[in-house]
Amino acid sequence: MATQLTKGNDAVIIGALYGGCDCYFGYPITPASEILHEASRTFPQVGRKFVQAESEEAAINMVFGAASAGHRVMTASSGPGISLKQEGVSYLAGAQLPCVIVDIMRAGPGLGNIGPEQGDYNQVVKGGGHGNYRNIVVAPNSVQEMCDLTIMAFELSTKYRNPVVVLADGVLGQMVEPLKFPEKAVRPEIDTSWAVCGNKETYQNLVTSIFLDFGELEEFNYELQEKYETIKEKEVDVDEYMMDDAEIVLVSYGISSRICRSAVELARKEGIKAGLFRPITLFPFPEKELAALAGKDVSFISVEMSNGQLLDDIKLATGCRKPVELVNRMGGNLITMDQVLGKIKEVAGKEE
Amino acid sequence: MKSLFTSGHRGCAGCCDAMVAKFTLMAAGEDCIVISPTGCLEVMSTPYPETSWEVPWVHSLFENAGAVASGVEAALKAMGKKGDTKVIALGGDGATIDIGMRSISGAFERGHDITYVCIDNEAYMNTGVQRSGATPFDASTTTSPAGKVSYGNPRPKKNMPAIMAAHGSPYIATTSLGYPKDMIKKIKKATEIEGPTYIHAHAPCTTGWGFDTSKTVEVAKLAVQTGLWPLYEMENGEVTKVRKIGKQKKPVEDYLKMQKRFKHLFKMEGAGEQLKLIQALADKNIEDFGLE
Repeated sequence: MATQLTKGNDAVIIGALYGGCDCYFGYPITPASEILHEASRTFPQVGRKFVQAESEEAAINMVFGAASAGHRVMTASSGPGISLKQEGVSYLAGAQLPCVIVDIMRAGPGLGNIGPEQGDYNQVVKGGGHGNYRNIVVAPNSVQEMCDLTIMAFELSTKYRNPVVVLADGVLGQMVEPLKFPEKAVRPEIDTSWAVCGNKETYQNLVTSIFLDFGELEEFNYELQEKYETIKEKEVDVDEYMMDDAEIVLVSYGISSRICRSAVELARKEGIKAGLFRPITLFPFPEKELAALAGKDVSFISVEMSNGQLLDDIKLATGCRKPVELVNRMGGNLITMDQVLGKIKEVAGKEE
Repeated sequence: MKSLFTSGHRGCAGCCDAMVAKFTLMAAGEDCIVISPTGCLEVMSTPYPETSWEVPWVHSLFENAGAVASGVEAALKAMGKKGDTKVIALGGDGATIDIGMRSISGAFERGHDITYVCIDNEAYMNTGVQRSGATPFDASTTTSPAGKVSYGNPRPKKNMPAIMAAHGSPYIATTSLGYPKDMIKKIKKATEIEGPTYIHAHAPCTTGWGFDTSKTVEVAKLAVQTGLWPLYEMENGEVTKVRKIGKQKKPVEDYLKMQKRFKHLFKMEGAGEQLKLIQALADKNIEDFGLE
């Protein structure tokens, strides 16, 4: 298959086109705008629909509408825009509609700047909008995965009728790497058992998240939790690097995990048994895998471009049985090799 | 006249935002509070140490300059101030007529004593020239690219002054960077009138439209002289004054050919018909406002 040098944001649209997405709704925001540009250029060329909305809120509700009609649909934005979409995301989760949302994280809070960060972790992984719902969240760490995980996101969203977020950052969106194009394109069929298509077959279908009866709403909430439990059981995805005999485990996702891989290699050269545990799915979070690791003689280091948001989840998963150190940067800054290696040596020193 | 918008910002040479900001403050004077939503103006003129504002200045989210201005005005009233401090919102076309439309509508409907100045450079320049509701017919932008199947943006500009007039605003005016005295005069008048007033300033963007940095004023003048951007004032819903074009009237091609965003109209097959459609838009303005 063809390999081409591709920008991360463009790779998202390549993944979307191969993944059977036929409607894109978006609104400009740096550093995610190239996804919008690429959709506006390519979707009409192949007979699919591109609409530029008047706001992020409009875009997510266009997603709600098109998803209701049973189509594979998506939107993309960055931190402030994702915040604005949250009401719509809650409604999508409540109405059990499939869709893909791409968040090219930038530095916050507030307007912040357009540098890369991972500070949206909590708002995306824990829900973000109101109510007892979860997004499925996948976290690419390369241009290749920007494409591949977007395809995977569409599959998961259709399978579970749930919003799926592709959580990336400004570096992944803007950087250029070789992309191996997908082998085959998905041609999805509309599920007429729930979609509203304006035909006789779907005439009786109802897309809503209102349950006036308290008991009924509680029952619906329990159903949602069961769905999330199934997702937790079946969809956890992790990439492990040099983990077999690792005593110091770096836990990191997205762009931060790239430097961790190099740090592990350098640490190994100095005789330190370091390994990288990279969650590819952030919800479901690899709780069992981390819990199992915590039963061994290991220390954890959370490497993230946020204020310990990932670290909290590591502590939860491991029941605080093992120390979890933090290596982080915020404000649009990237983590340096010195930082990670320094912390690895510090932890290794403590153990000796 | 002293400028309260100083040099040292990071605007492009010939930046329209900086010029409108400067003229706005010349009109408003020292006793004002400016609210700006996200956009080029805020990004290039406010971060330390490139701050250009010599008046109090508040940043708002992209979508809610109208609401923040309402809050500032209400707080001034709560402090017992009686209209002496002017509250001015200064936003781009995206922030004003797309995402910010709802909050401006609310502010005007409630009747807050504010002046809203829309700097209309006809696309989302800060994020890379995406189309907005103010992008003119057939302009090529990064999300309405001209190509085999498209002549560019398929829709004409949203008529925001008419929408604001429908809110019962006591004073609405269109103005242009081609005529700074006109702009200063109208903004001054707007800030002196009690109630929510609206100024729509046509502001050519050298980067987004694709013209030489020395031509901002020339391009702005041509928009007016072709009839594509009519200059008028509305008081309590009625047009009370227009700027006649008279002998200066130019064909729309004179305006369009100066800008890269319209260059496809002079190359593509069948574009002659498009030029006629654009001329028709100008002619309708000239007729509607009696500009001849």
